[in-house]
Amino acid sequence: MDNESVIQIRNLSKVYRDFWGRKKVQALNSLSLDVKKGEVFGLLGPNGSGKTTTLKLLLGLLFPTEGEITVLGRPAHDVEKNEHIGYLPEESYLYRFLNADETLDFYGRLFKMSPQVRKERKDALIEQVGLQHARRRQLKEYSKGMTRRIGLAQALINNPDLVMLDEPTSGLDPLGTRDMKDMILKLRDEGKTVVMCSHLLADVQDVCDRIAILYGGELKVMGSVSELLQAQDETQMLTTHLSDDALREVEAVLAKHQAKMMKVDHPTTTLEDLFLRTVQESQARPGRRFVPGERPGEDGNAPETESGPSDAAKVEGAAS
Amino acid sequence: MYSDVVAFNLVQAVTQWLLTLVVCGGIALLVAVVLSISIGGLSGPSTIWMAVTRGVRDLVSMSPKRIGAIAGLTWKESFRRQDVLVGVVFVLLFMFAGWFLTSTDLDTPAKPYISFVLTAIRWLILPVALLLSCWGLPADIKGRSLHTVVTKPVRRSEVVLGRMVGYASIMTLGVVIMGLVGYVWIERQVPESARHQLVSRVPEYGRLTYLDRNGLPSLTALNVGDMWDYRGFVEGNTKAAAIFNFSDLDTDRLSASDQLQLEYRFEVFRSHKGDIDKSVQAQFMLVNEQSGLKVPYPRVPFEINEFADIQTRSAEDGGREPIITIPRQLTYTPEGELSSKTVDLFDDIIHDGTLTVQVRCVDPGQYLGAARTDLFIRLPDKPFAVGFFKAIFGTWMMAILVIVLGTTASTFVKGPVATLLTFALILTGLTLRPFMSEVLEQYRLSGAVEGGGMLESGYRMVTQMNTQVELPGGFLTDSIQWIDSQMLLGLLLLQNVIPDFTHFDMTPYVANGFDVPWNNSMMPGIATTLAFILPALILGYFCLQWRELEAK
Ligand SMILES: Nc1ncnc2c1ncn2[C@@H]1O[C@H](COP(=O)(O)OP(=O)(O)OP(=O)(O)O)[C@@H](O)[C@H]1O
Ligand SMILES: [Mg+2]
Repeated sequence: MDNESVIQIRNLSKVYRDFWGRKKVQALNSLSLDVKKGEVFGLLGPNGSGKTTTLKLLLGLLFPTEGEITVLGRPAHDVEKNEHIGYLPEESYLYRFLNADETLDFYGRLFKMSPQVRKERKDALIEQVGLQHARRRQLKEYSKGMTRRIGLAQALINNPDLVMLDEPTSGLDPLGTRDMKDMILKLRDEGKTVVMCSHLLADVQDVCDRIAILYGGELKVMGSVSELLQAQDETQMLTTHLSDDALREVEAVLAKHQAKMMKVDHPTTTLEDLFLRTVQESQARPGRRFVPGERPGEDGNAPETESGPSDAAKVEGAAS
Repeated sequence: MYSDVVAFNLVQAVTQWLLTLVVCGGIALLVAVVLSISIGGLSGPSTIWMAVTRGVRDLVSMSPKRIGAIAGLTWKESFRRQDVLVGVVFVLLFMFAGWFLTSTDLDTPAKPYISFVLTAIRWLILPVALLLSCWGLPADIKGRSLHTVVTKPVRRSEVVLGRMVGYASIMTLGVVIMGLVGYVWIERQVPESARHQLVSRVPEYGRLTYLDRNGLPSLTALNVGDMWDYRGFVEGNTKAAAIFNFSDLDTDRLSASDQLQLEYRFEVFRSHKGDIDKSVQAQFMLVNEQSGLKVPYPRVPFEINEFADIQTRSAEDGGREPIITIPRQLTYTPEGELSSKTVDLFDDIIHDGTLTVQVRCVDPGQYLGAARTDLFIRLPDKPFAVGFFKAIFGTWMMAILVIVLGTTASTFVKGPVATLLTFALILTGLTLRPFMSEVLEQYRLSGAVEGGGMLESGYRMVTQMNTQVELPGGFLTDSIQWIDSQMLLGLLLLQNVIPDFTHFDMTPYVANGFDVPWNNSMMPGIATTLAFILPALILGYFCLQWRELEAK
């Protein structure tokens, strides 16, 4: 896998202001993260934690209050970069008076693409998202799932190198969810980079290489899914012919016995477990970075401690 | 035509346009820099610089393909959302209203039909253009469909221009349909007796001076008590005359028909009753100023159209058009000679494209009133359709301008506000702007405005000082006058920023049976519309660019 960063976010903050410039919400607070080329990156977090805001900042739909964003080597406000980006909005903000064909045709025409290629891609995508039967119906007649599907097709019309999906599986039936996940994996196989937000943790666990969990606009956890879900202090053994005897002595002299070792590894928790722990921890101790290996209370700090700067620094250091 | 026809000075207009653009751009830049410094400190100006260079890049690198895509979308949107039905309803309405129209004006029986059609089209097109352009983008932003669009490689200038092009094409269709329907309707509706009025006359106007009763040249003539100094009156049976000086005549074209038509519309002021059964009489004197040749024509004085119904009466009844046709060969008896002479109109009288026509009133004690447009050489007529569709073109240009302004307004405010804003601009352009021009013209000519500027007139009102009284000198007066003169600068700028919507109304020409002149009406209209497209596009682009679409 290439290690080149497709997205670089440095110290990104976003404050929503009202008409008079008064602060309404701090949606993001000093967020820094990188997305590497070719990976599927998941942005998780409870409702209102700033996931959609992050994506919109990446796309230049919102302007950062502070910090820097580089997407595909260009600043976020540069429209040229959009040539290689596909975006599926949280809700499909499409033109309801167009039909599926016209929708794809319209968005296709916004890219540098010959009419021939445009037509081919349009037909392929409509097939891929399973809307052949409804391609001539106006979008206002579509069900939620169908709208999601055409939304996805729209995001892929330019054969993008970087795909941003905001809750791609919401509203989809199980079959659609399966298709969506397959599609994401297929995109990864093609060497594309995918950034997605989702609440469906099982789906994220299935497809994402790396994740970040946001809470209240701050980054709480980031890392590869397999690493994050490893329970470091536990070992799981799967053996055959392990006698009671051996079982007793196994810690000391595993190798001396004839038992054939099948597997020794760390059991993984589920992402759901990690997510819930992160959120609980963040609620209990605001302002701290969450370290997955750590059990609440283990670091000797009382859970209700208001973390001072030195404390936060220590925890950050431990996590990195 | 009861007002003067003034030629449009394109060079001056373009200079003014450039100047206004530079001044407005400069002000905008200054404000932006100051704001950016106050918000972002010293890095502010560099942000502005980057935004401006990016803006220039985005405006220059617009792709016709993407603009076309957005225009096509706009077009589809309007049709699918049945906006267009409104237009259809309008057409129907207009057609049925038309059945009730009858002509009451005896002088110009075709005029109400033409006026009605053109005015109706104008006022039907206007609200549709206004609403379409003002509500489109805000709805797009509100429905967030624009978000998806701008995540594609679309410049926001393309969004603005695409919208403009889309609406413009819809309105073009509307105008064309309405124009054709209107034309057919006029052709069928206008009564047979008035059909001769369905022409596009092409007038060639001269310059008007006078001779007073002693035969001395003068720039003005008598005022017979009108409030309006529009016509000057010359006394009958004296040496007084109205002198029309035609220059730059295209002699080759004129001589092709071997005759010259003069059309007139003088007014009469009777100082005594005289012969009430006959109109007051007048006579022309064709003069070659170079050689001094003077040829009276017609040989017998003619009755001028003093009574309004002279044109509508049948020929047997003394009715006729107010036209004097001068043949190429003219026979006359020179003053003081007995034998008559024959001269050639185009060779002997018209010299170097110049012709002078003196108009005298024959009846003693009666007065003939003439304004510059009261006598003109009537060049070969054009078909009625020419003038009519030029007027339709004027309406179309107005629609385009409304769309340009409306779309621009809708990039920074929501639909209702944009509508109001644009409408206010149109109203100002129609009503207040002529007044502003008048004030400024007065200032330009005399260096002062009657009654003073805003502060001065306020001061006069409060102190109940009438306009004839000099202000007391001193610091207060000086500063009042200084501020007022600065305000005039602002007014000048404002006048240049507000489009002159009066240019687009070509109805008076067509309704009165004239062609729409290029120089006086078509060109200013086109220039006005063109002048606003670029600045509006730039403004719209920056507004949309600097607007966080998401954070409404
Ligand atoms: N246009 C807006 N104006 C003001 N505040 C906003 C706006 N959009 C989002 N916010 C606020 O910013 C914060 C982050 O919102 P965001 O939409 O990014 O959350 P999210 O993580 O995508 O949530 P969800 O899981 O519900 O989609 C929230 O507190 C939200 O209320
Ligand atoms: Mg969201």
